Amino acid sequence: MIKAKIIRNNNNIVKFEIRGHADAGEYGSDIVCSAVSALTISIVNGLDLVVNVHPKVTSDDLNGGLMIVEIPAIVDHDKQIMANALLDTFENGLKDISHNYSDYVKLQ
Amino acid sequence: MLNMNLQFFSHHKGGGSTANGRDSAGRRLGTKAADGSTVTSGSIIYRQRGTHIYPGKNVKRASDDTLFALVDGVVRFERMGRSKRQVSVYPESEAVAK
Repeated sequence: MIKAKIIRNNNNIVKFEIRGHADAGEYGSDIVCSAVSALTISIVNGLDLVVNVHPKVTSDDLNGGLMIVEIPAIVDHDKQIMANALLDTFENGLKDISHNYSDYVKLQ
Repeated sequence: MLNMNLQFFSHHKGGGSTANGRDSAGRRLGTKAADGSTVTSGSIIYRQRGTHIYPGKNVKRASDDTLFALVDGVVRFERMGRSKRQVSVYPESEAVAK
């Protein structure tokens, strides 16, 4: 099971942790895993390339199943709005996935 | 920038494990001497588990149900009753007469 944890500060998402494996199918055809992977990686890359805010990422690339993303303090107001848009979208996406695939994803 | 690995949160190839995946080697059962072939005494005719084929004339069943010849002669697979089969070995002299 994938366990996701989202941490807020002053109503802004400042950190999120995603641990575990979905185990919803064989390697290569695990749809839940790929949904969470695509959503998470897209958000991290979006922050990095679109918003130009460079989160600190800790991940286990060898075994997968662990990603800790820490968003640095954002001074620029517009950037904060863009970052919040991405991160809130991310949270909603995770909520939807965990709602529909509650056996495989849990949002804490 | 992160690499878009869609299986990042899936058990990696090395990660998954299964309790299955074992099997014993094949026991090479079945016919070892064909019908009409000549065998010597003690030759194995049929390897089996249980009595798929029964011992007939001049044939004996070993402890592992293997059928073997008691005399030199010709192998004959025959019917036994309605649905069973047996194998016999007839000495050359007798086999010619059959």
